[in-house]
Amino acid sequence: MSAIFSGGIDVFGLSDVGRKRTRNEDHFVIATLRKEILLRQSNLADTSVFDAARGVEAQLLAVADGVGGQAGGDVASRTAVTALVGYLNTTMTCFNNLDVDAEHEFLEKLEAGVHAAHQQVRDAHGRDSRPPATTLTMITLLWPRAYVVHVGDSRAMYLHNGWLRPLTRDQTMGEAMVDAGAMTEEQAARSSLSQTLYSALGAQDMLPSVGLVDFAAGDVLLMCSDGLTKHVNDTRISEVLSQPWTAEMMTKTLVQDALEGGGSDNVTVIVARMIG
Amino acid sequence: MIQKKVCMVGVFGTGKTSLVQQYVHTKFTDKYHSTVGVKIDRKVVNVDGTDITLVLWDLAGRDPQQDVGSSYLKGAHGVIYVGDGTRRETVSELDDLLRVATAAAGPVPSVTAINKIDLTEQWALTPEDYQALVKRGGLFRTSAKTGEGVEAMFLQLARFLTVPKAGA
Repeated sequence: MSAIFSGGIDVFGLSDVGRKRTRNEDHFVIATLRKEILLRQSNLADTSVFDAARGVEAQLLAVADGVGGQAGGDVASRTAVTALVGYLNTTMTCFNNLDVDAEHEFLEKLEAGVHAAHQQVRDAHGRDSRPPATTLTMITLLWPRAYVVHVGDSRAMYLHNGWLRPLTRDQTMGEAMVDAGAMTEEQAARSSLSQTLYSALGAQDMLPSVGLVDFAAGDVLLMCSDGLTKHVNDTRISEVLSQPWTAEMMTKTLVQDALEGGGSDNVTVIVARMIG
Repeated sequence: MIQKKVCMVGVFGTGKTSLVQQYVHTKFTDKYHSTVGVKIDRKVVNVDGTDITLVLWDLAGRDPQQDVGSSYLKGAHGVIYVGDGTRRETVSELDDLLRVATAAAGPVPSVTAINKIDLTEQWALTPEDYQALVKRGGLFRTSAKTGEGVEAMFLQLARFLTVPKAGA
């Protein structure tokens, strides 16, 4: 069932092994980060100070798609997600009243969490003859602002006023060739380079891109592994996200579309509806 | 280390992202990708022996569907206004963008980049336009493609940001 978080966010995630693979190498997490002081008992005459310390929370959404290696991509994606959550649990202190310095510190901690996850994958498997790696797309939502840290080709996008907007760019050799003017987008899409990551957790190069966006009520966020976008195009994604459905219905519909389209890869989808 | 939030502001397609890419990563691509929300990069710059980190907030450009996000400008220590010398209308909007940014961030230090000087044959600015820009102060002619003027522009803003406030 969808979870409704404070701030009015309806969110649901689902991961499926697909129709061709025997092992699911994707992992996802939807979690609430909360720091609060909850008054249990006191003889203070005025306890209003506790009101301000209650209920400020952030939502952590992450998708990781493991790739290759002796140990298996599933180990890399699981290690990355677990390490990320562990790091944030020990370092995040407060989300209240983020001024510009606190916001930069907050962002640095999110990035540091990704670096810590990368290091943990490297420590565990870096000496393998074929080390595994993983994508990681993480969004930390502190309503209405969403902080995006992205490595690899698991995508994040959102629907705003009927317009689907990308929050990430694939870190693939195909995209790099297009940027360099060496290939057209069509050539890159047909090439195996569009499946080759130049940046991933656990790999030699890990180059997180960082951004943020302010959501509005009515916006719908989608995060997914490439098992979705191999089979479901942006037009169909827009159509599904435009429906007056719950996040759970949208998620299940998109996963089903990917399976019916061939299900050639593991598919993971998170949908978050900003109810406001 | 001292950190300074610097916002890149301008009409869409003026080269804000390309200027940051050239400055931070020494990269340029002709391929245009519209920025959604804000993209963030950092660069450490040394000003007279002091290292400061510029946290560069590359804001989505103003277009007919959306204005510059004033919520992103709050708390900015400095602003870089970017116009495209081959599209006169992008330069004409800089005064209004100054008003929007000042309302959100206050009268913070700024510089102005007139970008794409590598395309001089397509230059659309008149001498009068240029004189008006000069009056703004902190004007730089830049090319994100060749790198001309880019380093100097960011460094100048960094210098502005490290000048002690009067009375401090």
